[in-house]
Amino acid sequence: MALYDPVREELVKADPEKGSFRVHRNAYRSAEVFEQEKQQIFAKCWLYIGHDTELKKKGDFHARRVGGRDLIFIRDKKGEVRAHYNTCTHRAAKVCRERTGNARNFTCPYHGWVFSSEGNLVSQNAQTGYAEGINADKHLDLRSVDRLEQYRGFWFVNYNPKAISLYDYLDGARDQIDALMDQTEGQQIILSGEHTYSIRANYKLLCENSYDGYHLFPVHASYFDYLRDQMVGTPGEGLIDKTLATYNSAGCARSLGNGHAVLDSFVPTGRPVAQWLPSMGADTKDEIEARYANLVSRMGEERAKYIAECQKNLVIFPNLVINDILSVTVRIIEPESENKIRVTAWAMGPDDESEQLRALRLDNFVSFLGPAGFGSPDDIEMLEICQDAADHTPIEWSEISKGFGKAEDPLYAEGAPDDEIQMQAYWTMWDRVMRGIDTLETR
Amino acid sequence: MNRAGVEDFLFYEAELLDAWETEQWATLYTEDALYEVTSPACEDPAGADARNTLFLISDRIDRIRGRATRLTKKTAHAEYPRSKTRHMITNVRVTGGEGDETKARANFAVFRTKEDTSTIYMGEALFTLVETANGVRIRHKRCTLDLNSLYNQGRLTIIL
Repeated sequence: MALYDPVREELVKADPEKGSFRVHRNAYRSAEVFEQEKQQIFAKCWLYIGHDTELKKKGDFHARRVGGRDLIFIRDKKGEVRAHYNTCTHRAAKVCRERTGNARNFTCPYHGWVFSSEGNLVSQNAQTGYAEGINADKHLDLRSVDRLEQYRGFWFVNYNPKAISLYDYLDGARDQIDALMDQTEGQQIILSGEHTYSIRANYKLLCENSYDGYHLFPVHASYFDYLRDQMVGTPGEGLIDKTLATYNSAGCARSLGNGHAVLDSFVPTGRPVAQWLPSMGADTKDEIEARYANLVSRMGEERAKYIAECQKNLVIFPNLVINDILSVTVRIIEPESENKIRVTAWAMGPDDESEQLRALRLDNFVSFLGPAGFGSPDDIEMLEICQDAADHTPIEWSEISKGFGKAEDPLYAEGAPDDEIQMQAYWTMWDRVMRGIDTLETR
Repeated sequence: MNRAGVEDFLFYEAELLDAWETEQWATLYTEDALYEVTSPACEDPAGADARNTLFLISDRIDRIRGRATRLTKKTAHAEYPRSKTRHMITNVRVTGGEGDETKARANFAVFRTKEDTSTIYMGEALFTLVETANGVRIRHKRCTLDLNSLYNQGRLTIIL
């Protein structure tokens, strides 16, 4: 990356009077900036590790990499959720080599040290040689992350012991999580199966893309063609163009504090939560309408309408995406380097929906989302050509100005669906955390 | 159908795909067809059901045709410029079937080159073929991948 300056003093430039908001491309392409991000962003922000419903039974675990650190996300044999570092306290070997499973203990394969699901060292596999009480101070127990907290079943870790609470960190994003979890009287669960794929792009490019209303028509033209073709000769014919014509006036982009933001929009894909469309088939109509009536009785008409009909693309700073659109996806973006990411995505749905509705939800998911859908791969291609071009041209700045300058505080702004105020919120927070202006610590 | 007949047919399907004759490829599928690719980490790829587990691909005939048509367009950005592919089909076995239906399995390796990056999708395909007045058609094709993730391949935007 010798072509470019090293870390610059100022990577985000905002001039509200001129309506100009720019991000230096080193923020996407510089290995030095990525090293700084590991310290400033990924060691200070709350990072999503998994959902409570992924740990159904005592002993259930998932081995996950979160912010570059390998963790065991486990419900211990007493029922408590924990996140241990996946490394033996003896000489570093991984104690868990499976991606997922159920365990009462973890035995290190190297020298046979045994740790309980709670992380306690229970055997050093040696009769002699160790002084008595060598682990009296517990330093040989499996090390756990400094902070592990949950909001409505979404578990997050924080590597900074002084971090503000997850509750405070989520700020306005809590209301979005509420809107998702309140879809059902039962429980929202992570469904069986996952998508795991990679993208040769900076993690922030995928965050930007995940709630970008501006890219919809150029990038997803072939998807809308497909939807139109599906509806020819059905009562839904013409609905696509009618709804898309009001796309930019019907919804909004809102920033929710601490760099989080949501895009509220209306796209005629149908929503298994409680919005039925003819394309979803007559056999699901009654159930979806009953679910809507139930929503109204629990939440009131206005909130029910928002929950049922509005498509919500939420990014929780810095790397969690929850898209509640034609299906619900929970997506984490794990950076490997400044220009490579791993993505893991799950489907979420209510545990009390019928088999037909569950099938429809998953069918909707794969029609657009994931590495083989009709939507996400075209997004991925855009991110890769952004990264490749930023890496191999000397142009310094990217322009993220659309809709900028109207709000007092970019962290709490509102704009049209195809504005870029959600990204302005993200980058404003990123800049503050990177420069230590906001430490995200309790005072 | 015997093994040689199944092989000839699967080689023809592969030839259409490598030539990017995707719309012609879609005509090989019956009206009640299902084309599926299970997720790489799927615990039981042969027994899994797309109605309750997240797959990579689960296309009935409308989406098989939609996928085929989409791939002919410049706006299918993920495959523009088009990648080069080579489908290798081996170890073909007839495993059962009755009446006009034949069940078969085959191993596959599909090589894909996009720009200057080459990757491989390898695994096993399970077929239900049916002999019709218009020739052999596919009623069900399920591809299971010998992968744990798509970290090396990135995405799956070609047809296996």
